[in-house]
Amino acid sequence: MAARTRLPLLFPKNPPPFRNQKLAHTEAAVKEPTYPPIVPSLTAKSKSARGRQVEEHVRKICASPVEEKLSLITRIQRKKFVVYPQTFARNADRWYQHFTKTAYIPGLPERFALDPEKRTGVEEEESSLPAAAPTTVPGVDIDAIADIRSLVTRVILQEHWHMKKRKPFLYREQEQMVGPFLRNLVSGLTYSLAKYNPLLPLSSLDIDPQVNFYWRRGQRIIPKGHRRGRQEPTRFQIDDKPHSQIRITQQLPQFTSLEASYAAEVPEVTFAPNLMPLFRRQYDNNIFTGAKLPDPACYGHTQFHLVPDRYHRDRMARQQQSDQVEVFLRANGLASLFAWTGAQAMYQGFWNHEDVTRPFVSQAVITDGQFFSFFCYQLNTVALSVETDANNPRKNLLWGTESLRLYDSVQDGAVVGLNDDVVKLLVQFLVNQP
Amino acid sequence: MTTLKRLQNNYLISYVSKPVGAMPVTRLLYPLFQLGNPQLRILRPNWFLTLVRPGKEQPPDTVQFRIPMEMTKCDVKNYLEKIYNVPVGAVRTRIQFGSNKKRNHLNQKVKQPDYKVAYVQLAQGQTFTFPDIFPEKERMPAEGSMEEMQEKFMEDEKQRQKLDPRRGGVTEWFGL
Repeated sequence: MAARTRLPLLFPKNPPPFRNQKLAHTEAAVKEPTYPPIVPSLTAKSKSARGRQVEEHVRKICASPVEEKLSLITRIQRKKFVVYPQTFARNADRWYQHFTKTAYIPGLPERFALDPEKRTGVEEEESSLPAAAPTTVPGVDIDAIADIRSLVTRVILQEHWHMKKRKPFLYREQEQMVGPFLRNLVSGLTYSLAKYNPLLPLSSLDIDPQVNFYWRRGQRIIPKGHRRGRQEPTRFQIDDKPHSQIRITQQLPQFTSLEASYAAEVPEVTFAPNLMPLFRRQYDNNIFTGAKLPDPACYGHTQFHLVPDRYHRDRMARQQQSDQVEVFLRANGLASLFAWTGAQAMYQGFWNHEDVTRPFVSQAVITDGQFFSFFCYQLNTVALSVETDANNPRKNLLWGTESLRLYDSVQDGAVVGLNDDVVKLLVQFLVNQP
Repeated sequence: MTTLKRLQNNYLISYVSKPVGAMPVTRLLYPLFQLGNPQLRILRPNWFLTLVRPGKEQPPDTVQFRIPMEMTKCDVKNYLEKIYNVPVGAVRTRIQFGSNKKRNHLNQKVKQPDYKVAYVQLAQGQTFTFPDIFPEKERMPAEGSMEEMQEKFMEDEKQRQKLDPRRGGVTEWFGL
């Protein structure tokens, strides 16, 4: 029954004006609540109690320092999908894009434009015309580029011509022939370009580091067991071993703003991850950038990956799977860089419920000795689980190139057909600084 | 009359000159095969694949087969590529255990046969969806037949059971 307000019998058409003008503009007096706020119980056997337990846990994690945060997030072990960056699965890049909420953009960001004519006046080589010198990098003079070229030829010749290597064992060819070449190349380039990039002398070059990342994305209904019918989040873990990586003390600048990623498209895959095929295991949940937490070089610069014999393009061509070569490279770049940038963000204290305030940026070069592919990754969001992803318009971005040939062959002690664009891109990647 | 041709104690080739249907045709005999000889025989495998509808939803490029136990992944790949010209990307197999739990009227355990399942991922971006073999049909009974009268009668009965729609779903318990 609707309550009827008691009005006077003769209700005036114009009610009398508010007499006490003094009190018109004051705020309502703040009264201290006499009773504590009514919240759901913490120990009852109800859904709201479970919700409150989860809230309390989240609040506890937000309030603790970074090491405790990491240990609290990775404490409980459960069955999780192990994502391998170098995988044999077909169309792996679409699946990985869905798992990591990444949009793929072919080509590199404007900073690494391959066309020298587009770039406007540069301090050190104004005299050189764009047509005359195809290898021009802002901030690096032409002599240095020539030095780099000779360094690259020296490294190639050292491994493929001067060194006498015995016939490699089955499937050990890349490890024996290309591994040392890449190591020499990376260390040579880092030391030569140290004077053009002030970060490199303070950086740390890791050989054969480990990178791990653990995250949750999506959920499924448990089909069987004592927890049947309930929702369970799908957990993922990446354990990556890149060939080498460079870690720096300052963060690289972003490629595009956070808002620019709102328009990017991420492929949606409605099927369960185990159809990929992807397998589940239970073991330690690790989050690791390559160095422990107190290390000052906690931001990532560039990673270098080696394509193993199993996924070499010659072998794929023999099995008529040449179209999967690019797919494999993209999936590798995506997973490795997502794990690295995600771990960097976790080291700074950002996690699922506290999203990143600034984008984390890293680069990667994947090679099999002759062909080089370059990838740039910008991590805009680390909030990927169901509760936090509901209204999250941010997406992570991956820029990548097709594989470019560095040199054609080695004949009679000379490198034939050295590609200057690839050398220039390598230099640009390593010189990248804030 | 059949004329026989002897080729140095090799297999014989016989030419049947009688009209067809009068007598059974003798088996065609081929010359002995040695490496380098022309391949005259067609050897067909004794394996048969069954395309099945997947029980759980599969990605669009995955096709599910039931294959004989003796086949391997490479066999499946070659079979589909060479006989049916289907570009195969990857094959994964598993063996499904047929249950041994049910018992018959003599309380003996009855084994359901085991079978091997192959999940074939197609190459070159091809997709496949299992077709709907038994689509729903609008069954309209023929005019003037028994079925039509029965259906009409059933519909009228149902209508009579329903309450007055003006009552708005309220039962007859409240009322006169």
